[in-house]
Amino acid sequence: MKFPKLIACSVLMLPFALFMSCEKKEDKAGESKAASYPRSQTLYLSGSQWGDPNTFNPLVEPWLVAWPANDRFNIMYEPLTAYNSLTGATEPVLGILVSYDVDKVVVDIQPEAKWSDGVPVTSTDVKFIYELGKEFPQAPTNYVGDFVSEIKVDTVDGKERLSFMVNKTGRNNPLVILDQLQAIRIVPAHVFGKYLAENNRDFDAVKKIKCDKDPVVSGPYTLVHYNNERIVLVRRDDYWGNKVMHDGALPAPKYIIHPIYKNNDHFAINLQKGALDASMNYIPRINDKKKDGVSTWYDSPPYFVPGSMHFLYLNTTKAPLNDKKFRRAMAAAIDYTAISRRALSNYTPEMKPGLIMSGGLEKKFYNEEEVNKHSVPLGDKEYAKKVLKDAGYKPFFDEKGSLKFTIGPKGDTLPTLLIKSPSGWSDWEAIVNLVVNQLREVGIDVREGFVDGSQYWPNLPSGEFDMIMRKPPVAVTASLPWNRFNSVMSSRNWRPVGDGNSMNENEGRYNNPQAPDYNKRVDKLLDLIPLIADEDSLKTAYTELNNIFLDDQPVIPVCHLPEEYYQFSTKAWTGWPTEKNPFAPPQLPWVGSGINTLWRLKPVE
Amino acid sequence: MLKKYPTVRYVLLRSIWYFLTFLVALALNFFLPRLGSDPVEIMMAQGSYSSPEIRKQTEENLRKEFGLVVVDKEGNIVRDENGNAVKASKASQLVNYISQVFRGNLGTSFENQKPVAEIIMEALPWTIALQLPTILFGWIFGNVLGALAAYRRGVFDKVIFPLALLMSSIPFFVFGMVLVYFFGVVWDFFPAIGGYASGITPDFSWEFLKSAGYHYILPFLSIFLILAGGQAIGMRSMGIYELGTDYIKYAKWLGLKETRVLTYLFRNAMLPQLTGLALSIGQMVGGALITEMIFSYPGLGLTMLKAVQTNNYPVIQGVTLLITTCVLLANFTVDILIALLDPRVKASLTMDTK
Amino acid sequence: MLKLLKNLIKEPMFVIGIFLFLTTVLAGLLGPSFYIAQPRSEFGYEAPLAPRGIEVDLSKNTLIHWVVHRGDTLYAKETIKRDSLGNMLNSTTPATYWIGTDNLGQDYMALLLRGLQNSLYVGFLAGIIATTIGTLVGLFAGFKGGIIDDILNMFTNLFIVIPSFVVLVLVSTSFPQGRSLTLIAILIGFTTWPWTARSVRAQAASLRGRDHISLARINGASNLQIIFKHILPYLASYVFMVFIMQVASGILSESAISMIGLGPLGEGATSLGVILNTAKNQSAITDGLWWGIFPAAIVITVIVFALYLLNNSMEGVFNPRLRK
Repeated sequence: MKFPKLIACSVLMLPFALFMSCEKKEDKAGESKAASYPRSQTLYLSGSQWGDPNTFNPLVEPWLVAWPANDRFNIMYEPLTAYNSLTGATEPVLGILVSYDVDKVVVDIQPEAKWSDGVPVTSTDVKFIYELGKEFPQAPTNYVGDFVSEIKVDTVDGKERLSFMVNKTGRNNPLVILDQLQAIRIVPAHVFGKYLAENNRDFDAVKKIKCDKDPVVSGPYTLVHYNNERIVLVRRDDYWGNKVMHDGALPAPKYIIHPIYKNNDHFAINLQKGALDASMNYIPRINDKKKDGVSTWYDSPPYFVPGSMHFLYLNTTKAPLNDKKFRRAMAAAIDYTAISRRALSNYTPEMKPGLIMSGGLEKKFYNEEEVNKHSVPLGDKEYAKKVLKDAGYKPFFDEKGSLKFTIGPKGDTLPTLLIKSPSGWSDWEAIVNLVVNQLREVGIDVREGFVDGSQYWPNLPSGEFDMIMRKPPVAVTASLPWNRFNSVMSSRNWRPVGDGNSMNENEGRYNNPQAPDYNKRVDKLLDLIPLIADEDSLKTAYTELNNIFLDDQPVIPVCHLPEEYYQFSTKAWTGWPTEKNPFAPPQLPWVGSGINTLWRLKPVE
Repeated sequence: MLKKYPTVRYVLLRSIWYFLTFLVALALNFFLPRLGSDPVEIMMAQGSYSSPEIRKQTEENLRKEFGLVVVDKEGNIVRDENGNAVKASKASQLVNYISQVFRGNLGTSFENQKPVAEIIMEALPWTIALQLPTILFGWIFGNVLGALAAYRRGVFDKVIFPLALLMSSIPFFVFGMVLVYFFGVVWDFFPAIGGYASGITPDFSWEFLKSAGYHYILPFLSIFLILAGGQAIGMRSMGIYELGTDYIKYAKWLGLKETRVLTYLFRNAMLPQLTGLALSIGQMVGGALITEMIFSYPGLGLTMLKAVQTNNYPVIQGVTLLITTCVLLANFTVDILIALLDPRVKASLTMDTK
Repeated sequence: MLKLLKNLIKEPMFVIGIFLFLTTVLAGLLGPSFYIAQPRSEFGYEAPLAPRGIEVDLSKNTLIHWVVHRGDTLYAKETIKRDSLGNMLNSTTPATYWIGTDNLGQDYMALLLRGLQNSLYVGFLAGIIATTIGTLVGLFAGFKGGIIDDILNMFTNLFIVIPSFVVLVLVSTSFPQGRSLTLIAILIGFTTWPWTARSVRAQAASLRGRDHISLARINGASNLQIIFKHILPYLASYVFMVFIMQVASGILSESAISMIGLGPLGEGATSLGVILNTAKNQSAITDGLWWGIFPAAIVITVIVFALYLLNNSMEGVFNPRLRK
């Protein structure tokens, strides 16, 4: 009769277990003694930091640096300008864009700009970061020398005027210099110069400095606290830009917290519960979350503003993928609407063929008549079958109607082509699954080839694939759509499949410069476009390049997705930019000109 | 040697064997991760480079940083006649690795250059916090139930036993998902994820303790109930076995109090259960990987999983080293405990040496 | 033997166990070939369709009620309502999916049967491998004792300390076709045998000193003869029970490995774990799409439960003291 007591005892001991666990957690996070952050003054944003934050040193390789000292975040360290992906304008930050032509890009430094220690931001700071790349090959700006031959400094009306001279003998590409203005964040020369001097100009030693205690920054927020679960920024009330760019107003949130989630579900749960205010990751079925106060840029599909294309890259050196008729048949056979609906929660607008988007800023280069003339009809299975038949491919189906094998024009059985895609990337997995089904229906022998990331990434630049899902690292910047064409079609660095010094653009090895059928025009156009200023000629050049793309179909665009997802909750903060109130582009308030949102948000009382 | 002291001899011999095992495990630990793809290639493929020269330069920097190429005294990369960096041989890396391990240096993570020891120290408390109480309480609760079922039999056994069996057939993570679905999503009783609410600063405040305790309930339950089920089954069989022995029959016949009989029963059925406990505590550091994943508990299991997916050698090695050490220690303890506590084994030791 | 069987049949646990086991195995073996999968759903939205006869209101994340359906036709109201493109997609397509569809519109029943088949395959193959290696190592270590025991013990410990999923990830990168079901089964088998080895070793060691063994030795039987003729038969029932546990653990291991995203890859390589993992990746738990998780979760639990029941009822029969 005594035993139920034992049970009762063990149940009563449960709370003890809880406390034991709490104590353990204490040791770990004991570094912070800051007070809790009141909800009405704190903005929770997430999606750019996934791993443990370790260093906030902006001179370290971007992928090793924690948010917001890496990539394109403008809230601690600022660039010279910001790109507005909605209007295409280059907006002022530390500098103001004055002019842009084939010889030079001219920028004035804002005379009021100051570092957090009171030192003004000057041309010395700009030259410091640009020249770092020339002196140290391990600096993050090591590539600028190919584009900028020198930076000339003048003084005009009391402002410092910088002229970034185009390196005519190098890449001769002013468009990329314009991109660099918003990609390279200026760091305080008086701080990092001192670090270099203290370490006998040993750059690797300087990279070991974490810059996580009272960093000298120029932006509106600075780092106060971080651990493996979150990074906390606090507002700098003496930010120079408040007066110059925001009529003296302060940004609304006193704190910005980036909670670090380990798993995708957490974004959706926390957005719905109002514990997270905005995020930039993929969340399926966003429309269902409206009732919980989660909104997007558009109220109806595609919900987000498209900015980047995801592709099916094809190994154009391998039969039958080296046959452009075969590639065109593939482009025709895929049902893009099904992909959007089934795999992507309708986040893709109606697909138009080619590498130029038919809406938004690229619309001015989109020539519908020419596109229709050169493209295959998308999602037309009968057309695809006809192309295959005319080109001599004979598919054989079993009695149930599923594909057995296909005989090529030379009478050989075609190999089963695998579509590589990293396993666990659920949206791509779904796309591949649908594409395989659709292609097999018209008689193209393909299969899913899901691989681990540790196999996917090395296979990509070395070209070891039949087909592979790929989103090229193309940011939404002033150089679109040129950089998209460049990353898909350029054979400037062409190397054979499997070469150790592998390629980071055109991984499908299209247009081999050594081959007899090399199309010189492609690389020529890619070199020319950055130097064309007049919009009509630009459209002509883009149309020609797009026509070549449509004729040859070296890769297959499968969907147009936003460059960054932008979903927000109105439970704690209102005043987010949307289609109806487009005062800032659809970005989290930390990238590009999306940062302006911070001054417009209002806490919900 | 030491024939007069069989137990000491036994312990010594065991220690030597375990040390040997440790060394072999260390070497395996080093070579296994290197079977996979080159981590530098994985990292390289995710960036973009304006020219092949820049790409090569970046790659060499990474290799130098991770000690994968030969470096001279001034810290410059040694090159062959073609100007390519000379790769460090596996053997020299192994020697370097082992000497560093014995100096307590586990290297730095490829992901963010954080020292591996630091990464482990940050993740370990979460794993221990999640697992240790769960294992202990699950073990106690399960054993009490099991002993009870063995002793009472009848209806009690008929209910408890199949229930325990059913509980232990549910995979941990499935039970976790079901708990999250009902308690976290449908009824919204408990927070489904994380260690504490992200607006709270972790300190000794009541607010934080409350939040942490609240977040702890679901992950705790998801492991506790299943573990208790498994323990109950084991204890029940042992209990029934012991109940059939003569001493218990005798004790009952003597009319000893029920609790008293049960204490004897418990004590004797305990030995195998205790070994089980020691082993599961040893394996605990490996982490309840999927439970940590589902509840986003940032423990060692999650750290390891991420490292494996990116071939982050230093972290994989660091964590497996810790697992290896703990499991071997636990096994060693069990071996010794049995030798000291179990009279039968003790007797056989003495016999062997004759 | 017959008597044992008679005793077993009297055991209700055994009857329930064998019934559940045979049902799942038959469903797994024959299901994929006999069940005619429904074509992909015509509805164009990525949420899985709810099972037939169940209407779900996602806005509350709760099950409202069972819908009375006429004949075989039930219209998937919910999906039509939710088509956010505003197109009334084929509103007359009947929903005949018994347990709904996955996010790509595939018949869940067909997926589940295929997954069950593959999981059973992995479980049995892994179980056979692990039991064979474990029994052999355990027998030799237990019978021989001494230095051989020590070496085998070290070997066993090595396999215990290296986490199996690490080996799995690292090995699978060397297979360009990715991880097949067989590869996963082999790896599970090769990493789970130490437990068998340990328990068989203990049993074999206890037999070592028995009289009939000594007798055989005096009669000049070789070690191998003794092990296989005189020890193994004594342990046969024990090994069989261990095998049942190894199959159960193989099925559980497979689902765990798939849950961390390292499951079988490639054509048709689904499994119960893969189904659960896909559902998890599609936010099925957090979005309240319970039918994405529950069927596969229940099937795994049922097989493992059946195997545990069998094991325990046999233990009761082979070890009479456990019987009432």
